[in-house]
Amino acid sequence: MNKYEAVIILNPNLSSKVDAFLKDFESLLSSNSFKILKTEDVGRRQLAYSINNHNKGHYILFNLEGEPSKLIDIENKIKYNESIIRHLFINVKTHNGEDSQLLVESKTKKKDVEEENVSSKAEELKASKTTEKNDDKEQVVEESNDEASVENNAEEVNDE
Amino acid sequence: MSKYNLPKSFDYKDVNVLKQFITETGKIIPARVTGVTASNQRKLTKYIKIARFLALIPYTDMHK
Repeated sequence: MNKYEAVIILNPNLSSKVDAFLKDFESLLSSNSFKILKTEDVGRRQLAYSINNHNKGHYILFNLEGEPSKLIDIENKIKYNESIIRHLFINVKTHNGEDSQLLVESKTKKKDVEEENVSSKAEELKASKTTEKNDDKEQVVEESNDEASVENNAEEVNDE
Repeated sequence: MSKYNLPKSFDYKDVNVLKQFITETGKIIPARVTGVTASNQRKLTKYIKIARFLALIPYTDMHK
């Protein structure tokens, strides 16, 4: 049994079908007696250079465990899967249980975007309301907006 | 000490760490400039080359 890390870059146009791909990939691995210890769906990311005319890629990382002889079969199958634009299997001594920097980065980016959306909405509301009201009442409006944004955040978390 | 910050453990996914050790044109900066130890420099080159293959960092600034 060897330990492996796998990185797979999917065609960004198929981002919505990631779940289906993950199922297929898992069944391919398990049929070759590979164990999946961890899956990290990093999501769409800007490529440093274009691959097959794609400027973005959907990154997925795996921590795997299995027999080296079976890995060749898996790679042969992956080679002809056109939804994968690049893939890499690396032999590692030990698996680091922590989240990778890539996943952390993508999570913080998502949060930033959400916060920006919320704050921009709040600002729009402020702008539209404050024009009609006096300075004293502005503060009240701001406070209520803050509460609303907190609620929005909570809802978005629930959606995920 | 310097502008180069190398954590105790790092790998090919730590793009922000690796980016410190390549030039604007994408070349790997020699250890005599950055002052990292020889063993860390060997790790860095290995991981930078993996990260390049995965399109996390560029090979060059001349990519089409």
